[in-house]
This record gives sequence, structure tokens and C-alpha cells, in this order.
Amino acid sequence: MSHTQTGSPILSVAGVTGGYGSGADILHGIDLTVGRHEIVGIVGPNGAGKSTALKAIFGLVQVRGGAIRFDDRDIAGWAPNRIVRCGIGYVPQVDNVFREMTVEENLEMGAFLRRSGVEAALQRIYTLFPDLVEKRRKPAGSLSGGQRQMVAFGRALMLDPQLLLLDEPTAGLSPRYCEQIFQIVRDVRAAGVAVLLVEQHAKQALSFCDRAYVLASGRNRAEGTGQGLLADREIAQMFLGG
Amino acid sequence: MDLLSFINFYLVPGIVLGAIYSLGAIGITLVFGVLRFAHLAHGDLATMGAFLVLALVSLLGMNPWVALPVSMAATAGLAVALHWLFYEHLRRRSAILTVIASLGVALMLRAVVQVVWGVDSQTYVGGITRPESYFGIRVKDREFWTLAATAALVVGLQLFLTFTRWGKAMRAMSDNPDLARLSGIDTRLTTALTWTIIGILSAAAGFFLGINTELKSLMGWYMLLPMFAAAILGGVGRVEGAVLGGMVIGIAEECSVLFLPSEYKSALAFAILLIMLAVRPTGLLRGKVL
Repeated sequence: MSHTQTGSPILSVAGVTGGYGSGADILHGIDLTVGRHEIVGIVGPNGAGKSTALKAIFGLVQVRGGAIRFDDRDIAGWAPNRIVRCGIGYVPQVDNVFREMTVEENLEMGAFLRRSGVEAALQRIYTLFPDLVEKRRKPAGSLSGGQRQMVAFGRALMLDPQLLLLDEPTAGLSPRYCEQIFQIVRDVRAAGVAVLLVEQHAKQALSFCDRAYVLASGRNRAEGTGQGLLADREIAQMFLGG
Repeated sequence: MDLLSFINFYLVPGIVLGAIYSLGAIGITLVFGVLRFAHLAHGDLATMGAFLVLALVSLLGMNPWVALPVSMAATAGLAVALHWLFYEHLRRRSAILTVIASLGVALMLRAVVQVVWGVDSQTYVGGITRPESYFGIRVKDREFWTLAATAALVVGLQLFLTFTRWGKAMRAMSDNPDLARLSGIDTRLTTALTWTIIGILSAAAGFFLGINTELKSLMGWYMLLPMFAAAILGGVGRVEGAVLGGMVIGIAEECSVLFLPSEYKSALAFAILLIMLAVRPTGLLRGKVL
């Protein structure tokens, strides 16, 4: 089954420039789109602005130019807690769980903005990640790396977002866990959520994303299907380590 | 000395003092855990709470125990106001600036107390109270109620932090402030809530110290070191640790006069603090922040 873009994209970023606080721009005109039910990757060398692009979408970075349209609304410049309400979930790269709180409390905090349906949302997360059911009363900090990522994803999914932003979900995890994380991402997509992720392990990421963008120095350098980019010798040599 | 005299003259007063230190140490641990700075005005906030009760007692003729909840509410309001006036705009700067600002707030609060109520010792009610005897263990009414109220406040706080939406939000903010913000938790409201609880607890600590001893403008300032020692001893960021630490310091101070001249009583908290920092800096129950 193909998951290529159908209909209007859920997210479209056009010509976005910006950086942290009053500092110099890190993004120099980024363009990207994510279709419904699509897994899209952002890859590129260190310092390319991959994570910054993700943070710009979630309102964590000063956006100075360009447009970010999500579901027909321009969300550029919105505060993160407003963006989270309109249906985007964000999982930071590090420190993405409340370590001292139980798994269930972590999920409840993800649903802090929702007044009703918390129980149903919890059940959805436990159906998606059955491993978490028996750990629900354990502190999130005591879990293994893979399970901790499940908690982090689960927290971000509690508000039923249509788009999930993942900042290097496999960073620091062993190869065994990486495959587990990629499977989780596929499960999330199967549950009807589009995914935009930044990946350091470019080759692995490209082989599993529907489409991907290669960024360098805060600009788009290439885009295409994951397989297409992998087959491109020039791209591979320049940005993906040969 | 027999066991009963030990209990009556050292242990019971130690537990009462420990309860007072516990309430103060919980406040200190909450500031540290949620807002990440050492609040040096904590003792003087307690002094203010104690004197507000005195104002209600002397002006309106209220029973001190009835005046306590009123003072708690007023001190809570004061704590929130102090935050917005003096600490909030320093939030993005180095924490040491907020610590020094809180020292300034401590001096201001003390000055207000001295201007309004003077520098002489005062009491809520005159006269001598006789202790009740329970199987030979003698406990005064006010000591009994101090312990009961402390227990109720601690249990209430724990239930609040464990089971309510906003209590969990406070823990989330203490655990990982950035992630709390990303989850849509309103950190401004959570901060105000934290100060409200701190105000309530410090008013209680000041009142219990005042009713069990006497009211002095420096009463809270002198309590600051033992309260900090208790918070660190128990493990910073842990409510149950603050209670444990408070009890250890309170009982140790009262029992120290068995071995040491009583002038050294207040040096004991300092000694315990130094030993603890050298041996186990995370505290007895492993603190979370620092």
C-alpha cells in the first residue's frame, strides 16, 4: 500500500526563515509539505537546521519570514501551547518524559489541556503500546530506552494530534531499539497520524520514510522519496556519508 | 533520668519543634523543586504569618486558632505578590540573583514587622497552660494541636500533589519544566499555586512557633538555618524528606542539651547540615534537583 501524498497536505512550510531569540538566522528559507497519513523525514549533516526546522513549526523558534500552514491556518509565530491545541504533537530529542512521574501520569500530563475523554485517550495509547500497560504505575525514568520513547510518543499523542513531530527519536539508542522505534512510528501512522521526523541515521531513515528532505546550511538541498534519495549517488556522497 | 522524663522534657518538645521545622522545610523544598532557587525570605514570611495572627487576636479579639486560616490566606496572597514584584522578572537570569533578591525581601519583611509590632517579645495568650497527662506522657493542648494540624497539612498536601490535576502539574513542572510547557501546562498559574501553598505552610510554621514559644521579629530568621538543614537532610524536592529532616533536626536540637551547653543548640543544625553535605549530599531520601 502506498502512502504518498493524497489531496491537500496537512502541513505546508514555505520560505521559512528564523533562528533562536535575537540571534542570527539558522533557517534561510525552508520549504516542505507533509500529507495526511504520511511519514516524512528530514535528514542532512550536523548543523543543517533539521531540529531547528521542527522547532520552528512548533513555535519554539523565532520565525521571521515565510508561512507555516497547518490545516488551512497560518500558525507561524503562534505559541507552542496554542499550536498543541490545534493538533500538532511534539516529542523533544532529550528529556522527553517526566522521570519521577509514573507512565500513566506522564500520559495524563499530555492530556492536560483536555477536559474530557482522558480515559478513552489512555486506552488508545495502551492499545498502541501494549508494553506500557504493565508499567503504568512505574516511574518513567526507570524504563528502558525504547519504552521511554513509547511514553514520550504517548504523551504527545494524548490530545489526538493529526501530526506528530519527532526530533531524532533514535538518538542514543542501540540498533535493536532503532528498529523498534521505527516500528512504533509505523504504528502511529497506522493509527491515522502523519509524522514528520528529524533523523541522524540518514540511511535507515530514508529506507523507511515515504518521502524525505535533505537540508544543508538551513536550506533545502534535495527532496524525493526515501528510496529515490538513497539511489542518488551525488546526494549519498555529499550528505549521507558515502 | 528515667524514660518518662526523657520523653516529657526532650522528646515531646523535640517532636513539636520538628513539626514546625517540617512545615518550613516543605516550603523551602517546594521553592527549590518547582522554582529552582533557595528562598532566603522563607523564615521572615513565617514571621509575617505569625504576626498577622497576632494582629487579628489583638485587634478583633479572635481566638488564635480561628485567626490562623485568615493569616494563612493573607500570607499566601503576600507570597504570590512577592513573587510577581521581586522574583518573576529575574526568572530568565542566573538563579543566584533571585536568591539575593529573596535576601532583600527577607530584610524588608523583617523591617515591616519591626515597624508595625516593635522588637519586643509578645504572646498570643497570657498565663500558664498545664499539660494533660496521657499515661504519664505530658502534652500541652497547643502541642497536641500543633502536631495534629501539621499532620493534616502534610497529608493534605501529599494527596493534592498525588491525585489532583494541578498537583500533578506542579510535580510535572518540578520534574521537567520545558516538557511541562510543551504539554500546555500553564506555568504561570502553576507558579502562583506553588507560592500559595508556600504561603499557607509558612504562616502555619510561624504561628506554631509563636504559640509554642513567643513571637519575636527575628523568630523566622533564626529558623531559616534549621529549616534549610531539614530540607537538605531529607533530600531536596521531597515533601516526605522535608518532614523526616525536620523531625531529625528538631529532636536532635532538643536532645543536644543533654550533652552540650544550650548555647550550642542552634549550631547543631549547622553541624548536621555540614556532615550531611559531606557524606550524602542528595539527602536521606535522595533529592531530585541540585
